[in-house]
Amino acid sequence: MGYMSKGLLEIHNAIIKGEITPLELVKEAVSLALNDDNNAFEYICANEALEKVKRLDDSKKDSLLYGVPIVIKDNYSTKDIPTTASSNILNGYIPIFSSEVVLRLEEQGAIVIGKAAMDELAMGGTGTTGHLGMTYNPWDKSHKRIIGGSSSGSAAAISAGITPVSIGSDTGDSVRKPASYAGLVGFKPTWGRISRHGLFPFATSLDHVAYFTRNVFDSAYLLNILAGRDDKDASSSFEKVDDYTKDLNKSIKGKKIAIIKDIVESISDKTILDSFYKTVEYLRSKGAIVDEVEMDNKLLKAIYPTYFIISSSEATSNTACLDGIKFGNRVEGKTFEEVMINTRTKGFSSRIKRRFVIGSFSLFKENQQELFVRAQKCRRMIVNAFNKVFEEYDAIYCPAAPSIAPIVGSNNNNLSNEYLIADNYLAYGNMGGYPSITVPIGFEKNMPFGANLSSKPFQESLLLNIANILEEGTELKDLVAK
Amino acid sequence: MKEITKETLKIAASKMMFELSEKECDELMSEIDIIVSEMNLISDIEGVDDQEPMVFPFDVTSTYLREDIPTPPIDKKEALKNSKDVVDGMIGLPRVIK
Repeated sequence: MGYMSKGLLEIHNAIIKGEITPLELVKEAVSLALNDDNNAFEYICANEALEKVKRLDDSKKDSLLYGVPIVIKDNYSTKDIPTTASSNILNGYIPIFSSEVVLRLEEQGAIVIGKAAMDELAMGGTGTTGHLGMTYNPWDKSHKRIIGGSSSGSAAAISAGITPVSIGSDTGDSVRKPASYAGLVGFKPTWGRISRHGLFPFATSLDHVAYFTRNVFDSAYLLNILAGRDDKDASSSFEKVDDYTKDLNKSIKGKKIAIIKDIVESISDKTILDSFYKTVEYLRSKGAIVDEVEMDNKLLKAIYPTYFIISSSEATSNTACLDGIKFGNRVEGKTFEEVMINTRTKGFSSRIKRRFVIGSFSLFKENQQELFVRAQKCRRMIVNAFNKVFEEYDAIYCPAAPSIAPIVGSNNNNLSNEYLIADNYLAYGNMGGYPSITVPIGFEKNMPFGANLSSKPFQESLLLNIANILEEGTELKDLVAK
Repeated sequence: MKEITKETLKIAASKMMFELSEKECDELMSEIDIIVSEMNLISDIEGVDDQEPMVFPFDVTSTYLREDIPTPPIDKKEALKNSKDVVDGMIGLPRVIK
C-alpha cells in the first residue's frame, strides 16, 4: 500500500524526511482515482492538481496538509472545476469562486484531486441517486452493498485508500452514517463552527460542513484549520477556536456518558450490540461513568419525519435558483415560466422531485401549520429532550446504525422502531447543531460498523478527547478496504 | 391535512415549477400512505402544539458592521463564463414582451 492509505502525520513525516515529494503524492492519488472502480468521482482534477502542486508555497511546509491530496464533495464550489452536486441540472457548471472550506484547505497546501460523487443535491442517504449512478462500498468487492450517503463518493475515496481525508456535508447523517458503513471517522462539528460559504444549501437550518478521516487525530487537526468565523456566512460563529489536538489524550475519568436506552434497544444485530457494549466496558475501564438513560420513545420515532418535513420544505426555497435562468442547464421555452418548468422537469430526477413535492405539499397554506410548523415545534421538543440529557452528561453514545452497509435495494419496514429510531436518529445532531462523531467499533461479515458520540454545542475538544480514547481501545484506526 | 390525490401531487409539483409524469405520480402515490403514517407520528406527541417552532439549532448573534473596504467586483468575463447565450456582453434570455 502506498502513502495514500496512511494518516496525515505519517504522510507529513515522509515528506519532511524526503521519502516522498508532494508531486509524487499527487501522482499517486490521481493514478488511484483514475483506476477507481467504486464510482466515487464526479470529476478527477488530474491536470489542475498537477499544476497546483508544482506551484506549492514552501512556507506552508509545517502544515500537515502541505502537499496532501484531498477529495471534495461535489456540492462545494471549486473555482474553475466543474461542480454539479451530482445533478443533471448543473451539468457543465463551473464555479467562479471556491468555497471557504476549500480556500482554507488550499491555504495550508492541500491539493484537490477530485470532486466526489454524491446523492443528487445531497438529498438522499444511500449513495445511489447521483446522476452518474451508484457509488459502491469498497469493503464489498461484489459491489452489492451501498456505502450510504449523501457523501458517498467522499467516503468511498478515503475508504479505498485514494486520499487520507475527504470533505462531505451532513444535513441528517450524510457523513456520520456512511462513516459507519465505510470504517471511517466521520465528524460533524457544531452548527456554525465551520463556514458554509460556497456549500450548495439543501436545508439551511440543518446543513453542516462535515468530513471523513482515518483517525480521530486527523479530524481534530482538520478542525483547527476549518473552524472559525467567516463574514461571508452569516450563520458562522464568533465562538473562540481551540487547539482541538491538545486534549486528545486527556484522561476521561469522571466524564459522564449517556446511552439512550430506546435507541440501543431498537437494534437487533447481536454482533453490533456485543461490540458496542465491549466499548462501553472499555470506556468505564478508563474511568468514564456510562449510564443508560430513558427517552420518550414517541419523540425518538418522530425524529425522522420531523427531519424529512423540515428538510424537504427548506429545500424547496434553497433550490429555487436552479431554474435555467440564474443557474442550471437551460431547456428552452416560449416564456420565462416555460423555460423554468422545462429546465426543472428535465433537470431533476424523480427522487428529487419526490422530495420537492413533499416539501411543497407541507408548505401549502392549508397544510403549513399542521405539517411544517408542527414539525418545527416537534424539533424543539426533540432538542429540549437531548439538551436535558446534556445538562447531566458530557456526551451521548450509541451505535451509529443498526446494521452493516445494506445490500442495495433491500427493503426497510419504514414504520419499525429499527428504521425510525436506530437507522435515523442521528438527525438529532443536526436539529440541535451538536458536534457529533462516528468512529469504527467492529466488523461483521468483513464489513465495518461504527458508533456515534455527540456532545453539547462547541464542546468539540471534549468530544474528540472521548473519541480518541475510544479509538485507542478499539485499535480500529487507519482502516482501508482491502 | 388536505387529502392527497394525484391531482394534489401535480399541484404541489406545479408550485415548484416542474411537471410530474404519470409514472412519477403513480410511484409517489404508492409511497404516500407510508409518508403520511410517518408524518402522523408527530401529531401523536402530546403537547407538540404548545411549543414554539424551532427555526435554527440555537440563537446566533451575527449582527456586525463590516469595515468599508473596497474589494474587486467579479470580472465580466468570469461572470459570463457559465452562460451559453451571451449577446453584446450580456446574458441572452427569452423574449418576454411580444
